[in-house]
Amino acid sequence: MKLLRNSYVKENITGYLFILPQMLVFLAFLVYPILEGIRLSLYRINYESEKFVGLDNYATLFNDPVFFKALFNTIVFVVFIVILTVGFALFVASAVFDKNAKYVSFIRGSYYVPVMVSMVVMSMVWSFLLNPANGLISYLSRDIGLGNVNLLGNQKTVLPVIIFVTFATNVGQAIILYIAAMIGVSKDLFEAAEIDGASRWQVIRKILIPSVGPSTTYITIINIIAVLKIFVVIQLLTGGGPNNSSVTLMYYLYNNAFKYNQLGVASAVGVIMFIVTLLLSVPQLRSMVKDK
Amino acid sequence: MNRKRLLSSITALMVMITVISGCSGNNKAANTSDGSGSSKGKEKVEITAWLTPQWKGVLDATEAGADYDSFLKNAAEKFSAQYDKYDAKVNVEVIAGDQRDQLLNVNLSGGTPPNVFFESVFPMGDYVHRGALEPLTDIIDDAAKSDIAQTFWDAATFGDDVYFYPFQHNPGTLVYNADMFKAAGLEKYLGGENEIKTWTLAEYQEILDGLKNNLPKDKYSNAYPMALFAMNNQGDTWNLSYLRMFGNKFFDDQGNIVLDDANGVKAATWLKKLYDGGYTNPGAESVSSNDANAMFQNQQLAISFTNPILFTNGKANMESGTSPKFDVRLANIPSESGDPLSFTYVVGASVFKSKDAKKTEVAKDFVKFFSSDPEMVKSSKNGIPVRSSVAEALKSENPLFAAYDANSKYMFNFTGNVPGYSQLREVLYPELQALYMGAKTPEQAIKDYQAGGNKVIQSNKENSVIYNP
Repeated sequence: MKLLRNSYVKENITGYLFILPQMLVFLAFLVYPILEGIRLSLYRINYESEKFVGLDNYATLFNDPVFFKALFNTIVFVVFIVILTVGFALFVASAVFDKNAKYVSFIRGSYYVPVMVSMVVMSMVWSFLLNPANGLISYLSRDIGLGNVNLLGNQKTVLPVIIFVTFATNVGQAIILYIAAMIGVSKDLFEAAEIDGASRWQVIRKILIPSVGPSTTYITIINIIAVLKIFVVIQLLTGGGPNNSSVTLMYYLYNNAFKYNQLGVASAVGVIMFIVTLLLSVPQLRSMVKDK
Repeated sequence: MNRKRLLSSITALMVMITVISGCSGNNKAANTSDGSGSSKGKEKVEITAWLTPQWKGVLDATEAGADYDSFLKNAAEKFSAQYDKYDAKVNVEVIAGDQRDQLLNVNLSGGTPPNVFFESVFPMGDYVHRGALEPLTDIIDDAAKSDIAQTFWDAATFGDDVYFYPFQHNPGTLVYNADMFKAAGLEKYLGGENEIKTWTLAEYQEILDGLKNNLPKDKYSNAYPMALFAMNNQGDTWNLSYLRMFGNKFFDDQGNIVLDDANGVKAATWLKKLYDGGYTNPGAESVSSNDANAMFQNQQLAISFTNPILFTNGKANMESGTSPKFDVRLANIPSESGDPLSFTYVVGASVFKSKDAKKTEVAKDFVKFFSSDPEMVKSSKNGIPVRSSVAEALKSENPLFAAYDANSKYMFNFTGNVPGYSQLREVLYPELQALYMGAKTPEQAIKDYQAGGNKVIQSNKENSVIYNP
C-alpha cells in the first residue's frame, strides 16, 4: 500500500511541481481575495476599526430598492447581450465561413476592430453621438424636425442603447471564435449533406450549430461573466441614470466602495455577484467537461 | 529515469523560488532602508503632502515650468530651509480630483494616508467625521482668526475644532454671454465688466423670456437661455442653490434636511417649469456640468455656472483661440427675497492622523507655514484670497476681488458640515432626473430627497466621531 502511494506520488510530483507556481498565484490573488471579500461582507468597516455585524450588510442591501434595480438591470443586460451576441455571431459566421479567405479576413477584421479599441474610447464616441444638447444624433433629429431626442435620458430607451453599445463592442470576439470553429468542422459532413440534397438552412441547423456546441458554451460563459461586470459604459455614458434606471451591480458596488466608503456593503454585493456568476456558469462548465 | 526527472524539476523549482525570493528580498531591503530613514534619526522626518490640481505655478501660470505642484514644492523647500525642530523633507504629489476618495480610502485602509492634504474643504468633511483628520485648532493664532472672515472658519470647523486651514476660496456664481444679451435686446440687464450683477427673480424671468424669444436664430442657432444639468454630482452646488431660491433653509440646527416645505417645493416647481418651458438646454437629466460649460463656451447657452478658476480658464481659452471669443460677465444666483444666493468652495490644508507623532508635528508646522507666511499666502490670488490683508493688497491686480468680497455677507454653508456629505450628493441628482423626466412630481421628488438624504445623514451620524466623541 505504502509502496503504491510512494510510486503514485513519485510519478505525479513533477506535474504538481510544474503547476505549483500557478497554484500559488491562484491562491494568493484569487482564492484569498474571495475569502477576504466574504469576511469583509460580515463587518462594518470604519477608519482603523472593524466591527462584526453578522448579516447586517446583506440586510441593508435587501432594504435598498436601488440594489434590486441594479440586480434587475444586470440580469436584463446579461440575457439580452448574450442572446444578441451569440445569435448575431452565429449568423455572421455561418454566412461567411465557407467564402473565400480574403473576404472572411475582411469580415473578421471589421468586426474585430471595436474589440481592440478601448471601451473608454468607445463610450466617449457614443457619448458624443448621444449627448442630448450637442450630440450628433440629437442635432440631426432636430434638423429633420423630430424634436429633441434624448435616448440616454429616457428610462425606456437607456437600457436598449447600452445593450446595443456593449453588444456592438463585444460581438467581434464571438465572430472570430465561431468562424475558427466552423472552419474546423469536417468537410465530409458538408459533402454528405450536399449529396443528400440538404438546404443551406438545414446544413446550418443540423451540422454547423451542433458541431460548434463547445464554442457556444465558451462564448456564452465568457460573455455572461463580462456582462455581469459591466461598468465602464455605465460610468461614462449614464452614471447609472436617469433616476438609477441603468445602474448595474458592478456600478452599485463601485459607488458603495469608493464613493460612500461602505466597504462592508460593497463586499456583500461582491459576494452576491460571485454566487450569481457561479450559479450561471456551473451548468455550462459541467456540460463542457462532460463533452470532453 | 524517474529520479532524473525529479532532480531536474526540483532544480527548476529552486531556480524559480530563488528568483521570487530575490524579488521580495529586494523589496524588503528597500522597505527597511526607507523605514529606518524616517524612524532612526530624531532629526530627519519625512512627510508626504498630496494636492488636487488647483493652480499652476508658485504665484501664477506664466512662470517657467509652472505646474500644479509648483506652489507646494516651493513651500516645502522654504519650509525645510527655515525649520529648526527637525531635518524635514516634504514629498509633494498631485492626485486627480476624481480619484481623491478612491486613493484616500485605499491608503487609509492600508495605513498609508498622506500627512498633509490640500484640497477644497467640502468633500473632505467626511474624513473629519470618520476620525481620520487631526484638529488644527492649536496652530491657528489670533492674527489668522482676525485676518480670515468667520464664514471661512465656519466651513472649516466641525464640532469644537478647526480641521482645515483656509487658504483661498472659489465662489460659485452665474456667468453670462453679454453679446447674446445685447443681441436679444437685454442691454438694460447687463452688469459692469468687473461687477457681479444681482438680478431680482422677476428680472431673471424677463431675461430668460427675452433670450428665448428674441435671440436671432441666424446668429445663435441651437442656443438656449440657461444651463441645467443633473447627470451626476458634478456642479450640484448650483442645483442646491436653486433649491434655496424661495427661502428654504435646507438644514435645521441638528443637521437634518428640511427641504420638504412650501418653499422647497416651489423651487423644484420653478426648475421644472423652466425645463418644460424650453428655457434650458434639453435633456438636463443626462447633461453634465462639463457639457453645460462646453456649450456655454460654444455660445449655445447664454447663462451658465462658473467659479473664478473656470472663469479664468474660459477667458484664457478665448485668448488662445481654442474657443470662440465673446463678452463674458458674472452674475449672482437670484432669489425671491432679492438678496443673492452666494456660496464658496473654501480651499485649505488638512493633516491626516499618523501613528508617528513627529510626522504629525512636522505636518502641522508645514501647514501653518504655508498658510500664514506673508509671501506664501500671496499665491491665494489664483482663487480669491481668504485673508482680507491679501485681498486688500492685491485688489488693484484683480478688480473682481472687491466684488467677491461684497458677496461674502450673503454666503451660506452649502454642506451644513453634515456627516456623509459625499454620499448625500448621490441622493440629489437621481431625484432631479426623476423630476425633469416627469417620473416624479416636484412634491414627490423633494419628499423622497429629504427622506433619502436624512437616512444617509442619520446612518453617518452613528459612526461620526464628531457626534459620538
